[in-house]
Amino acid sequence: MIEHHPDQNLLLEYANGSLPWAQALAVSAHIQMCPRCTQHLRQLNELGGALLDQSTASEPASDSWSRLMARVDSSEAESAAPATAEPPVAPRKISDPMLSGAPPVIRKLLHTNPPLHWQRVSRGLRAARLVTGQASSEVAFHRISCGAKVAEHDHRGQEITVVLYGSFSDADGVYSVGDFLVRQPGQVHRPTATQDQECLCLSVVEAPVAVTGLLGRLINPFLGIRPA
Amino acid sequence: MMPNSQDRDRATVQQTGSIRQDEWSQLLVAVGTQRNRAAFERLFAHYAPQIKGFQIKQGGRSDSYEAGEELVQEVMFRVWTRAPGYDPSRASANTWIYTIMRNCRVDALRRQACRPGLDEGLAVEDVWDEALDEQPLVYLQQYREQSSISAALGELPEEQSQVIEKAFVEGKSHQEISSELGLPLGTVKSRVRLGLKKLQGALAGKKSQEVKR
Repeated sequence: MIEHHPDQNLLLEYANGSLPWAQALAVSAHIQMCPRCTQHLRQLNELGGALLDQSTASEPASDSWSRLMARVDSSEAESAAPATAEPPVAPRKISDPMLSGAPPVIRKLLHTNPPLHWQRVSRGLRAARLVTGQASSEVAFHRISCGAKVAEHDHRGQEITVVLYGSFSDADGVYSVGDFLVRQPGQVHRPTATQDQECLCLSVVEAPVAVTGLLGRLINPFLGIRPA
Repeated sequence: MMPNSQDRDRATVQQTGSIRQDEWSQLLVAVGTQRNRAAFERLFAHYAPQIKGFQIKQGGRSDSYEAGEELVQEVMFRVWTRAPGYDPSRASANTWIYTIMRNCRVDALRRQACRPGLDEGLAVEDVWDEALDEQPLVYLQQYREQSSISAALGELPEEQSQVIEKAFVEGKSHQEISSELGLPLGTVKSRVRLGLKKLQGALAGKKSQEVKR
């Protein structure tokens, strides 16, 4: 049972498209596991639809329709032509059992990424960075070994965590698959994985550009985790 | 997510979900299933001015006329190509077209912000799923007519409807709204939450209930 959800404000920023790409990725992963937030999102989309319906109409240019249909015609001629492109490469199989059950957006992300490169961050904690095509946040998987206690730490930027496999706990509670957490900079915590299972999380940390500048962050991305 | 949950969810919709009967949704189905151009032309005549009006309201800038034209072209082109995937039991035409428009905006922003050569990663639809097809559906919902949502919006205190409209129509984040209105971020957030809470009745419909699975 998912207990921790994005708040209404975050869901609205997802629904109106204003949430930055990396944060939207985390919200999307949660929504794909969470019927409750799917329902809230549907309602927010309905609200967007109602506002579109009541917007003040403004007539398009006189050639707007003919331009559109010219594009439709040419795209249909293109798709009717015999395909010359190579058949699409079959996606790499996800062999990691911790990831094979991940929500669709995460599986697609894996397919667009080079093979994961796990790095040791501290005892019991490994991380693999993900390429998402944006630089404003760091996106990574974090993997905590069975029963491991991660060093108490703080983040320089806001951190969103989505649990993808297993569970972990900290002083504030227990988090299991699908749970969505937001930690503000300065919120110190010490996550501990459950005894019998490894834990895998997606983590999105806002780049603390103001603190060290872009270069420092690129050189040592995992400075984002620092002992408190 | 359990295997086959999507198949089961689709079956649930077909048995019990309410099929949207409004005219625009039917036209959209005709475009999707028959590639019916007459239906598409009627949709264009209705939605193109709405989409353009939406965009113009966003900026009020001198380039917003051009931007409105471009948005109309892009949104309506995607409506044509994606209509075969439209499922009237999942969303009204208004809502589906709204999500396509939102994704066009996200795409445009992303193209501006992205380093070249990074287009091969996730597509906007992977992150902002238009159809919500990947999502589990365990709530049954009797969708209210969109007019009742509009009516409920009209009853909100001005300060709440203002921030909600800015968010959806102008696509702004809370932070952007806060800067623009000169209000603290927390005030914007709480107005949004209060407004959404008051809209809850109209948005949820009274017959919404959780399905036991």
